[in-house]
Amino acid sequence: MDNNDPRKAVIVVALVAVICSSLVSAAVVLLRPIHLNNQLLERSRNIMQLTGLVAPGQRLDDEQMLALFKSLDMRIADIDTGGFDDSIDANTFDQRRSAGDPRLAVAVPANQDLAKLGTRSRFATVYLVWEGNALKRIILPIRGAGMWSMLYGYLALEGDMNTIAAASFYEQTETPGLGDQITRPDWLAKWRGRKVYDDLGDPVFAVGPGRIAPDSPAALHRVDALTGATITGDAVTSLVHYWLGPHGFQPLLNQLREQPPSQTASTANGGS
Amino acid sequence: MSLKQYVTTPLLKENPLTLHVLGICAALAITNSLTSSLIMSVALTAVLIISNATISLIRHHLPSSVRMIVQITVIATSVTVIDQLLTAYLPAAASALSVYISLIVTNCIVLGRAEACAMNYGVRRSIADAIGNGLGYSAILIFVATIRELFGNGSLMGVKILELARDGGWFQPNEMLMLAPSAFFIIGFMVWGIRSWKPEQQEQPDFKPIVAPREVEGQ
Repeated sequence: MDNNDPRKAVIVVALVAVICSSLVSAAVVLLRPIHLNNQLLERSRNIMQLTGLVAPGQRLDDEQMLALFKSLDMRIADIDTGGFDDSIDANTFDQRRSAGDPRLAVAVPANQDLAKLGTRSRFATVYLVWEGNALKRIILPIRGAGMWSMLYGYLALEGDMNTIAAASFYEQTETPGLGDQITRPDWLAKWRGRKVYDDLGDPVFAVGPGRIAPDSPAALHRVDALTGATITGDAVTSLVHYWLGPHGFQPLLNQLREQPPSQTASTANGGS
Repeated sequence: MSLKQYVTTPLLKENPLTLHVLGICAALAITNSLTSSLIMSVALTAVLIISNATISLIRHHLPSSVRMIVQITVIATSVTVIDQLLTAYLPAAASALSVYISLIVTNCIVLGRAEACAMNYGVRRSIADAIGNGLGYSAILIFVATIRELFGNGSLMGVKILELARDGGWFQPNEMLMLAPSAFFIIGFMVWGIRSWKPEQQEQPDFKPIVAPREVEGQ
């Protein structure tokens, strides 16, 4: 067929499109198990760093890390009632999938939807870190819409359920070089020691611009904003307000503060 | 020219970066780390070889009205597959390179070589040309990255070479080298150096500047 024949152009383009898309699909499907494994490793490494059990700079290999991660006290929290629900197996529960499952998800009312979620799971996987019989840290999953993407992260609180111990974002596709600075370790390190709640019990933690004297009362709740990442920074503030607010984990945190949980239930719960 | 010459000419004489000034975007963005630059070099060379070979194979059946669409499809496919491989087997390095691997699709060197070489010549010559251009690009990337990482961070491929002052050593790093504009300066000096050494690479000015007649003072 002659190259100037328009039918040939259509056939060539169609053939190239079919072959190329099969190649791309094949690569994605064949490599998915490895990608999923990498994601699991990355996420558990992230959580382990928030526990304070791994010294900074200490490099664990994948197996040590997974072993440590599996020994963590993992609980399923019922977000609305603020208690733990032992009827759900924490090892198989997938919070992200259940946010789209009508039996497990609730719609977030628009006037409360600070993190622009739409729907969220009724249950959440939280991690408890023990020191002796005292609760040392609690690690909460947080997420919210950023500028381009859903930001997924964890927030670790000290035993007083108010002081931030550490934070991390493990999945985001914000603008490279600007919004994606929220994953910078030196910036996240500034979260440490900030308080989430004010004296009235409202979440007031914020990412804000401008310098504040480090000893002023406002500095207690503030982390310096990132230059060029205003929208992402505001989104981080909103999602912290949502998840630590009355529609998020606040009922759970209040309950834990009043009645500290016992560690014994955890060992029965499949911890190593 | 022999096949060998197609590989060696783009190294210096017709370097895609310093002569044609193509592919600058990635060269500025990722050369603050030698590891990233090496991975980028390998990825770009692989994409060039795959796309040049494929396009050269099917060049007689590409109607010129749709040739660019087909070229970009082939390039995008090889970039996506390589990106997938990198995130699977080198996840840390891939996340350090973030979007820049996917952005190879828009690297003008790849489409440029497809149009200039693969559309007109046989597979062997196209592959030789791809290797040459890939190596020419890699050479500049590695050179710039070595300067930036060594003097900007005192390390090479993440290994400490010079003890930094902030860690109690003697070396005061030049922080500017960690920022993208420094690559612009380094590449600019390289272009200047190469063109002074090989004046045939100098471009003729597009226009002659008009000199305005000036009155002589003191009359």
